[in-house]
This record gives sequence, C-alpha cells and structure tokens, in this order.
Amino acid sequence: MSKIACQDTLITKKRHLSQDYFSLTFSPVSRANRCVPGQFIHLLLPSTDVTFRRAFSVASVSEDGNELEIIFRVVGRGTTLLAGLAKGDRVNILVPLGNRFTIPRKNERVLLIGGGIGFPPMMFLASRLLAKGHPADKIEFFYGGRSKDDILERTRIKKLGVRFHPVTEDGSFGEKGLVTQPVERVISEATGEKMRMYACGPEPMLKAVEALGVKYGIPGEISVEAPMPCGFGVCLGCVLPLKAGGYTRVCTDGPVYPFGEVVL
Amino acid sequence: MTPDLKVQLAGIEFANPIMTASGCCGYGEELAGVFPLSKLGALVTKSITLKPRLGHPPPRTAETASGMLNAIGLANVGIDQFVAEKVPFLATQKTRIIVNVAGSKLQEYIEVATRLDDCEVVDMIELNISCPNVDEGGMEFGADPKMTEKSVAAVKKVFSRPVIAKLSPNVTSIVQIAQAAEQGGADAFSIINSLVGTSIDIETRRPRLTNNRGGLTGPAIKPVALAMVDAVYRSGCRPPIIGIGGIADYRDVVEFMLCGASAVQIGTALFIAPDTPVKIARDLKAYLKRTKLQSVTELIGKVKRY
Ligand SMILES: Cc1cc2nc3c(=O)[nH]c(=O)nc-3n(C[C@H](O)[C@H](O)[C@H](O)COP(=O)(O)OP(=O)(O)OC[C@H]3O[C@@H](n4cnc5c(N)ncnc54)[C@H](O)[C@@H]3O)c2cc1C
Ligand SMILES: Cc1cc2nc3c(=O)[nH]c(=O)nc-3n(C[C@H](O)[C@H](O)[C@H](O)COP(=O)(O)O)c2cc1C
Ligand code: FES
Repeated sequence: MSKIACQDTLITKKRHLSQDYFSLTFSPVSRANRCVPGQFIHLLLPSTDVTFRRAFSVASVSEDGNELEIIFRVVGRGTTLLAGLAKGDRVNILVPLGNRFTIPRKNERVLLIGGGIGFPPMMFLASRLLAKGHPADKIEFFYGGRSKDDILERTRIKKLGVRFHPVTEDGSFGEKGLVTQPVERVISEATGEKMRMYACGPEPMLKAVEALGVKYGIPGEISVEAPMPCGFGVCLGCVLPLKAGGYTRVCTDGPVYPFGEVVL
Repeated sequence: MTPDLKVQLAGIEFANPIMTASGCCGYGEELAGVFPLSKLGALVTKSITLKPRLGHPPPRTAETASGMLNAIGLANVGIDQFVAEKVPFLATQKTRIIVNVAGSKLQEYIEVATRLDDCEVVDMIELNISCPNVDEGGMEFGADPKMTEKSVAAVKKVFSRPVIAKLSPNVTSIVQIAQAAEQGGADAFSIINSLVGTSIDIETRRPRLTNNRGGLTGPAIKPVALAMVDAVYRSGCRPPIIGIGGIADYRDVVEFMLCGASAVQIGTALFIAPDTPVKIARDLKAYLKRTKLQSVTELIGKVKRY
C-alpha cells in the first residue's frame, strides 16, 4: 500500500474561530488514523489562482480515524481562498506528510509552547500524550499571541486538563508579555525534574525557546515552516540550512527538528 | 480491444509514453510511496553531477501565474553516492530508468556517463545541456550548436546505450541546436527545459529567488514548449522527441503527441498532483478508445495543420 494518500475529501465542518482564524474538518480521510503529532497535510485549492498546495499541521484526528482537522489563519491568497470554501466543498489533500515529535517518557515534565498559529500541532501533541497516559499535571501548555483574539480554542485546551498558560502581548488575556516568560518561570521553579520542550510558532519565538533549552540544558524540538512546492521530498524547494552544513528538506526530514539542528 | 500505450524510442520499448521529468521526482523513492513506478513509461532522475552539489540557498522557488520559478541549483548527491545508494533502489523498480546528467565542464559529463555505462539498470542518459560551461566563460552548453554537438558526441563515445539531448528553450533557434545534437549522435530529444525568468517582491525590492533568476515551468510554458516540439519535428530531424512543458492532463499529452512527440515528461504537475501520471495513462486509454485508435503511436505528428 502506498505511504502517502493523494485523495479527494469533503469539508464536513467549518468553524470561524475569531477574526481571520478558521477550523476545517475533512472527511473521509484515509490514513488519518496514521497521522501523528508534528505531521501535516498538503492541500490543493480548487482554483487555478494558486500553483502550489498549502501546508497545514494536523490539529486533530477523530477516534475512528475518518476525520482530520486543521486550524489556519488567513495570511494571503491561498488561505483567503481556503476561508472562502464551505461545508460540502471538495478539496484534494496529501496525507500524512513529514516526521513527528518524539514521545517523551511519562516521568518527564512536558513543556508545549505554541505561538500564534503554531498552537494546533501542540494541541494535537497534548491530546495524544494524554491518550497515551501521560499525567495531565505533567503537561504545561504555553500559548502566546498578540491579544485575546489570537488565543483560540481556550475551552478546548482547558478541557484537556493540562496546565494552561495563556500569554498575550497586550495583556488582554492571560499573562501579559511574551510566552517565553512563563516558560522560564516554570523551568526555574521545577526541582530536579526531567523536562522536555516542544515548540511551534514564529521564528523569534523558536529561537528564544532554543536559547532557554541551551541555558537550562533541557532537550526539545521545534517545528519549522518553509514554502513547499511538493511537500513529499521530490523538488528540493523547501530546504533550510543545517548548523552542521548542507541543507535539510523540511517536508520530509522535518518539519520537526531537535534544538540546535537548523539555522533559523 | 483495449488501446495500446506502448511506444518505442531509440530502439527501447516503454510501457507507455509517460515519464516523470528530471528534478521533479528525485531519485524515485518518494514517488514510489504514492504509486507503483511500474505505472510509468520511465523515470528520469534529478540531474547527476560528478561531485555532490548542495544547491542554492533558499528561497529556491516562487509561485507565478499558472506556473512556478525554481533555482534549485542542481542540488544532487553526486555520481558516487548515486551509484552506491540510489541505483540499488532503482534496480528494483519495474520501469525504464533514464539518468539526467549535468556538469560545468565537458570532462564532468564524460566521467559521469562513463560511470553510468557500468550501471545496467540505466536504460538511457538524458543530457542536461542547459548548464553554464565554465571552460567557455559560463555560456550554456546548449546555447551554442558547436558545444552542443561536441558534448553529445563525447558522451556517445563513453555510453553504449541511447543518449537523449535535453534542449534549452533559451536560444535563438532550437531547430539549429537540435540539428547540432543530431550531428553529435543524439538518439532522442527532450524538449523543453525551463524558461529563464524572475520575480521581484516590491516591498523588499528583492528577487524572490536568492539566485536572482530561475527557470519558469508549469502550465504557463505549455504553448511555448508545444511550438518548439512542433518546430523541431517539422524540421525533419530524425531522433524522436520527448515533449515537456506544462503537461497536467491527458489532453496536454495528446497535443504534444499530435505535434510530433513520441513520449512526454511530467514535471511541475507532480507537485500539484503526484498521481498525475497514473491519471493520464488511464485517461489517455479512454481517449484512444473514444477516437477509435489502436495505438497511441497513431497520434504522433498527426496535427492537421492549416
Ligand atoms: C509544515 C507546515 C505546517 C503549517 N501549519 C499551518 C497551520 O496549521 N496553520 C496555518 O495557518 N498555517 C500553517 N502553515 C503555514 C501555511 O502553509 C501558510 O500560511 C500558507 O501556505 C500561506 O498561503 P497563502 O497563499 O495564504 O499566503 P501567500 O503569502 O500568498 O503565499 C505565497 C506562497 O508562499 C508560501 N507561504 C507563505 N507563508 C508560508 C509559511 N508560513 N509557511 C510555508 N509556506 C508559506 C505559500 O504556500 C505560497 O506558496 C504551515 C506551514 C508548514 C510548512
Ligand atoms: C523544481 C524543479 C527542478 C528541476 N530540476 C531539473 C534538473 O535537475 N535537470 C533538468 O534537466 N531539468 C530540471 N527541471 C526541468 C524539468 O525537468 C522540466 O524540463 C520543466 O520543469 C518543464 O516541465 P513542466 O512544465 O512539466 O514542469 C526542473 C524543474 C523543476 C520545476
Ligand atoms: S517541498 Fe518539495 S522537497 Fe520539500
């Protein structure tokens, strides 16, 4: 059986989360049950206005493995077109793509750090870890945004039972400031506990998180973005430089990398 | 009777006329994760050079109207690693294997072709002559008839199986280059490689590619490619033509074949829909049935010109 399914699917649910944020659920999706946190889909818009597919992290998959959810922000032509689609519309997706986050040991305190539209894979990781029996009080969910409208799915995250740390730059919701502040606080308050960090978000945030990892000697992984013509490794268009020299294909070698591996 | 998709090129039989274009299917491993490569007439590898190449810094690609620009910079594993790590996989695949060869000196083409002659799995070589020749001040091999003839002839001497010359569209007369390649002994032509183009971000005032310019591909270039295939076919060159440029569905394939192509390659469309070759083979069969043709070869050169 082929590893990657190139398939037509239907939008079965569309939710407007706030401002320019949307959630779309697709069904049926073969291979959805094989998606793991960190992986993404590549979505072909039903329009000749765009050439390439668009990449979106898997935000959740249903228990029966038939449905797959993405959460996205409208930023340009493709995402504007996507936001214009409705329930019942057909799209073509490639799934599952990319590597995955390392699953932590159950005794480790897990620090999930999502910045802006980087939170969906963190949410997927949190629910998978819980399903695998990771203690909820050992999962810290940090979520940073500009203001209250950027902190999405608050009820859903709270319901997971993890330790939720919302942060906004303007202080309109949760703690005021940058997401790395509570992260550093939790790290320095922890006593002799093993920790592991996972982050997805804007580049400056990823750099700051990596710096914390180095400062406190905590291992971790980041999920990065790059423009992706093909999404499955054949075009070499999505590369990022590696600290050790050479380039890495983000679509197949990534998008998840251990701290310190890629040049951001 | 189900119509026959088999085609012959330079004495080699292909299960169908659909090949994947160089640089758009890696070395086959990833595409094999989408569909069995036996569905292809042939797989054409990424350009292989003597030494490994890292390629250009990102960004390497940009979207354009009905197409894309790329300046990957011939990133590839180099001939040693290709033979050691990629050939064993290709040897297990039930499709024809064409290795695209590139270089910046004639000697590099010769050395790579010599190595490939020892790899039985390699059915043909495709010469990417759209590369700057450092010995000639960076002028592209394929931009000059003499250099074209010389490079094809040199590779023919060391490679015992058929050699395809992949022609660049960025020339004054593609017919003249095709004739030179034929003189050099080319067994087939691939027409066309990408068209030089660029794109600028008006906010940063910087080109969208770090290489400042790149190659335009995708549906936007199809009419240009078709006219070039048509021109070379009508010029009376003997080698068969593999048509390339913007092919996305079976209708495009039929157009290329009517203009004289014996086979086609699919590039950019693989990024948009990696299963395109499978769909094309299916739809092409249906078209032949509908138009009551027994063999796809009956289409070759059959355009009814005004
Ligand atoms: C692995 C991965 C996972 C992603 N997950 C999500 C997600 O869950 N939610 C979400 O909202 N966004 C996500 N993105 C970013 C999303 O792909 C871009 O926002 C989207 O491609 C923008 O398209 P556009 O046409 O609206 O923007 P435009 O700026 O008009 O796009 C122009 C071109 O640049 C590319 N591009 C622009 N921004 C990005 C970007 N940030 N990353 C990669 N390519 C880009 C586009 O694909 C397109 O080819 C992810 C990106 C990657 C690589
Ligand atoms: C990302 C990319 C990489 C390519 N790399 C090569 C290459 O290494 N060697 C080569 O001869 N052609 C290369 N090409 C050109 C294609 O093989 C083909 O000639 C061209 O893309 C036109 O076909 P298309 O419109 O179907 O894409 C590349 C094209 C693309 C889009
Ligand atoms: S997007 Fe084509 S190789 Fe990664």
